Amino acid sequence: MDTLTEFFPVLLFFVVAIVFTLAPVLISYLVAPRTSGKKTLTTYECGVKPFGGAWIRYSASYYIYALIFIAFDVDVLYLFPIAVSYTKGAKAYEFYSLLAFVLILAPAIIYAWGKGVFTWKRKIQL
Amino acid sequence: MNEIINIVGKEVVRNVIGLVGVLVVVVVNVLILTWVERKVSGHMQRRIGPKEVGPFGLIQAIADGIKLLGKDIITPEDVKKPLYFLAPIVIFIPVLVSFVVIPFDSFLQVKDINVGILVIFAFSSLSVLSLLLAGWGSNNKYSLIGAMRSVAQNIAYEIPLLLALLPVIFMCNSFSLKDVVEAQKGIWFVVYHPIPFLIYFIAGVAETNRTPFDLAEAESELVAGFHTEYSGMRFALFFLAEYSNIFIICAVATIFFLGGYQGPILPGIIWFFIKTYALAFIIVWFRWTFPRVRFDQLLNFSWKVLIPVSFLWLLITGGMLKIL
Repeated sequence: MDTLTEFFPVLLFFVVAIVFTLAPVLISYLVAPRTSGKKTLTTYECGVKPFGGAWIRYSASYYIYALIFIAFDVDVLYLFPIAVSYTKGAKAYEFYSLLAFVLILAPAIIYAWGKGVFTWKRKIQL
Repeated sequence: MNEIINIVGKEVVRNVIGLVGVLVVVVVNVLILTWVERKVSGHMQRRIGPKEVGPFGLIQAIADGIKLLGKDIITPEDVKKPLYFLAPIVIFIPVLVSFVVIPFDSFLQVKDINVGILVIFAFSSLSVLSLLLAGWGSNNKYSLIGAMRSVAQNIAYEIPLLLALLPVIFMCNSFSLKDVVEAQKGIWFVVYHPIPFLIYFIAGVAETNRTPFDLAEAESELVAGFHTEYSGMRFALFFLAEYSNIFIICAVATIFFLGGYQGPILPGIIWFFIKTYALAFIIVWFRWTFPRVRFDQLLNFSWKVLIPVSFLWLLITGGMLKIL
């Protein structure tokens, strides 16, 4: 009950966002004129006939960035509970545990850096 | 039993009123920001900008909206239909939900959820999904390249965005945006944390795909990036989401670093909007000041500079809190 009232507005806004995006498209669908030409519905490619499809293999440089992101972002999320319970003054062990956490996390970047991820090479072996 | 119904009823009425208010803010914000963007761009290039429709061209945006409503909605024949239709809807959900937790004034907030900032981040990562849906669903090479770029860019800049806000949370021990604002009664957090503010702002500009980081929709090379195949009202929805995103990024920066609705003499809500639009103006200013960066520079800047610096600042903050 409590969580429901807490997050009810989120649910409400979620649903309304869907309605709010569907409505103008629907109105436009009813109001707008239709054009029909031979080439109206072709995919745009600077005026020429589309040359093959777009669903092809893609450069793997992006893939490596995605990998470091996953390794990193999940860990960064664990900093949030630390941030909420961090106290001012005294209890020095809190700082040491934060330090240890960051020092374990930092090598992920240093490792990727050393492996040449950030030099934008064609092939990188992680 | 009656009491529960009473409480729930009150809550529902409150939320519905909030919803109407937020929708008004979203629409008016887009009207204002597009006008500001065109007017400022005009004057920076020694032109006048829009001036015909209404005083100072103020109603130009409404006229454009009506025009877009009357445009034919074209669905190209090669698109993957479900993905293509879903993308404009998915991009708007995180935008609207983020408004739930934003405090416009000490009493003007739809709901003060105690994990406020996490709600904003959790939903704003949905927008990456929508860009990918749009790019892949369009079956257009420009769209796909644009979508790939913007996904790589958005995930690279999401980490500095989170890390830049962490020092502030270390100081006030709360995720609730209202608590964060209340903690800045005396001094704004930008005084303690100037560098995280800069990092947050840079990462925010990158998250909204604005120049100098607009590689996802670089018009001179990719036509319009992921929304090349969208026209009429569907295109307008992408536009709406983009400008609302700018507002949210600026609003969160205001709340976390510039004291939110705190300020002398004037009522809080006016202070909030002044600060937010001042930041939005700077983003528009960026567009005519910096040239577009190269893509590897963009990604590497985040990984090599922003993330290490924000980690360092985090450690310094942690240490200082213990010493002082």
